[in-house]
Amino acid sequence: MTALLSLTNVSKNFGGLAVISDVSFDVPAGSRMALIGPNGAGKTTIFNLISGVYEPSAGEIRLEGQEISAIPSRNRIGLGIARSFQNIRLMPHLSVLENVMLGQQARAGSLANMLSPLGRSKWRREAEDLLDQMGLDTFPGEVVATLPYGIRKKIEVVRALVAKPKILMLDEPAAGLNNTETANLKDFLMKIAASGVTLIVVEHDMSLVRSLCDHAVVLNFGEKIYDGPTAEVQNDPHVLEAYLGTRHAGKEATDVA
Amino acid sequence: MSGYWAGILTILAINIIFAYGIFLPVATGQLNLGGAGFQAIGAYGAAFLSASFGLPVPVTIGVGMLVAGITGYLIAFPLLRTRGVYLVLATFAFAEVVAGLILNSDTFGGAMGLSVPAFIDWHVAVIAATVVTVFIFYLMSTRFGLTMRAAHDDEVVTDLMGVNVRGVQVAAFAIGGALAGLAGGLYAHSFNFVEIQSFNALVSIYVLLYVLLGGTQTAWGPLAGATFFTLLPEALRTILPALKNSVYWLAGVEGPVSAPDDSWRFVILGALTIAMMVLRPEGLITRTLIERIGFRKANAGKGAVA
Amino acid sequence: MLLIQQLLNGVMLGSVYVTVAVAFTLTIGVLNFLNFTIPTLFMLAGMVGWALAYWGLPFGLSGPLSWPLALFFGVVVSILASLIVERFTFRYLKTKYGDSTEHAIPLVSSLGFLLVLENLVRIGYGTDAQRFPGPSADLTMNIGGIFVRIPQLVSLFLVVLIVVGLTWLLKRSRIGRGLRAIAENPDAANILGVDTRRVVPIVFMLTGLLCGLAGALFAVNYGEVSPQMGEDIGTKAIAGMVVGGLGSIWGAVLGGLIVGLIEMLTIHFFGADTVQVAVWGLLLLTLFVRPQGLFGHNSIGKGKL
Repeated sequence: MTALLSLTNVSKNFGGLAVISDVSFDVPAGSRMALIGPNGAGKTTIFNLISGVYEPSAGEIRLEGQEISAIPSRNRIGLGIARSFQNIRLMPHLSVLENVMLGQQARAGSLANMLSPLGRSKWRREAEDLLDQMGLDTFPGEVVATLPYGIRKKIEVVRALVAKPKILMLDEPAAGLNNTETANLKDFLMKIAASGVTLIVVEHDMSLVRSLCDHAVVLNFGEKIYDGPTAEVQNDPHVLEAYLGTRHAGKEATDVA
Repeated sequence: MSGYWAGILTILAINIIFAYGIFLPVATGQLNLGGAGFQAIGAYGAAFLSASFGLPVPVTIGVGMLVAGITGYLIAFPLLRTRGVYLVLATFAFAEVVAGLILNSDTFGGAMGLSVPAFIDWHVAVIAATVVTVFIFYLMSTRFGLTMRAAHDDEVVTDLMGVNVRGVQVAAFAIGGALAGLAGGLYAHSFNFVEIQSFNALVSIYVLLYVLLGGTQTAWGPLAGATFFTLLPEALRTILPALKNSVYWLAGVEGPVSAPDDSWRFVILGALTIAMMVLRPEGLITRTLIERIGFRKANAGKGAVA
Repeated sequence: MLLIQQLLNGVMLGSVYVTVAVAFTLTIGVLNFLNFTIPTLFMLAGMVGWALAYWGLPFGLSGPLSWPLALFFGVVVSILASLIVERFTFRYLKTKYGDSTEHAIPLVSSLGFLLVLENLVRIGYGTDAQRFPGPSADLTMNIGGIFVRIPQLVSLFLVVLIVVGLTWLLKRSRIGRGLRAIAENPDAANILGVDTRRVVPIVFMLTGLLCGLAGALFAVNYGEVSPQMGEDIGTKAIAGMVVGGLGSIWGAVLGGLIVGLIEMLTIHFFGADTVQVAVWGLLLLTLFVRPQGLFGHNSIGKGKL
């Protein structure tokens, strides 16, 4: 069965620096994958490669069997790839509602849609409904720059969701959340996955990774060092070595974050 | 209505249209310091067609506007490959080249200017300004307006959302250029004379500044900025004598030199710009302000305090 | 022969452009700031110098000053004005969002200062050009048919001195290292111990000094000042800076000279009215085809990306 997304021998160099070296992994449709690794391992770079911000120096990226490396970044969201960002990148001067409606662009880009007022349109209603479902219905008109961190993180996820993606890539969605909020996030993401969206999550919170994701890919210095079930990650000697150093390799760890 | 106030209304209408012409690229993220160039194209286009061919006003202004818009479209492509300071300088250079070309062409009257036979009275300018204002409010309420403002905030992410950022920027430049050209055409027929000295670098600076002062996040901003700038000399008439004397005292000058009263308006514009950039660089009218006003109105009916 | 005279005049004129272009390029190179106040500072030195030489100090503190003293104070005023500009354009700058127009806040402020200063001078002294009472003796040498005025030679010499001095400052001194560190990476410079709050005003002081000197030299060489004298010089200096490459001092030197030469040649062959198109057309072409000019780096002036 062809995976929904597959990277084959992907490398990325900046000048002389190899940021990603020969990384391959498959993401089956409907799966929930964790992409983990120490800081600087190249996780966000992988996201940038998949969403088209960077072009791979070598290798192939296939979505549903079709090579997408040559497709401009602008068109990838239309293919079904949506993401959130490590440092929240919402439009600070736009309202919550407007930020979410921006996420609809790939589905609403026709000339007729571009030139119709958004005021009472179905797009606005759809965005409002989604915000309500997420418990973000208080101030849809509030300009984003003034809102607290946790709320802005959620809005970014909603913006990605409203694109009705096949693959949702989340870059550290639990950063800065407390235990309760993280548990809520996990329930919410499970619901999204249940509706058919494939998840790729970059995370440092290992308990979230263990409970949410069925398989994990671990990167270190741009290379893949593990690709398998999440349950086995902490026992893998390469992973332990990467996080804790050679001395600890072979010992079990409860938390490799 | 007295001729004096008719004149002021005409200028206000023209300034509003001009302001919206600059507002479009700036709201999309490109500072346009070449407004006078587009205005000159529209003005001279209309003036030339009226003077040389006697074409009716709607045609002359329409053609002037079209040429200005097409120029904006064409120049946008090389222009948008530059960034930041280079972009501002390029728009500035563009306006200077336009002015220089007109200065050197006898067809357009060179330094002597052109007489424009057909006259339009203030109603035309005011109606045009109303139409343009409604158009801009409409445009900003569409998805196109949303993508404009998104591109201003974060080009990279806007592109990732599926927006053709370059396309939006070019469109903003082209439509903005056309509007500035419209302002020029209206000017030509309202005052029946155009000379290139009226479309100099300072004009580009003034319009950019009062658009920025008004605020570039909503369609209300340019309206506020243009109105302020146009009516400022009237407001100054009352306090001008006292101001004059204090400056004479500071400069240690004996009595009135050939002091142009017009200058005070620009001192104030400049001083307000400096203050605004320190205190409130987003301009007077921001998205948040409009939301707050709107929100309070929405809740007034509900009777509950949120 | 006439052509050579024109070329020489072009170089002399170019040296004024060079000084102002260097001020522009220094500010852009170190602070990523296109300072539109620069032509106004140039004008301020000239106009204040004239006012002091014509009337003397304000509030009747003295009679008309001698022209060297008047110009000296003119330069001082230029430096002081530049420091005031620093306080209100740069000191309070806070970039919150890093969006595309935020980098332009100092630029817009400097436009505000341009309007304020230029119009205050107009209000105080009128719009007419004024004759500057410079050195009375006719100090012209005749070298084989070419006329060279002593003040022009002195200006040229001073400009060379300034440029060499500035280059030395940037390469060898601690201040220079601090400036270059800020140009590379303002945040890192702070962490590495460069006291930006003391180094940044130095850029503005140098700006005031360069523009003030250029204004003073202009007054002496051409014997005329006006509130509009900054506009013309400013545009040519900007063109010189772009052609030479933003951020490069030697680029500004070469660029300023090139613009001066082009101006003289254009006037000689096509008449004065074509200068505007020629210079600005050159600038536009450079920006479209090779924005980094002769010696500039690609990264300067791009704004925060």
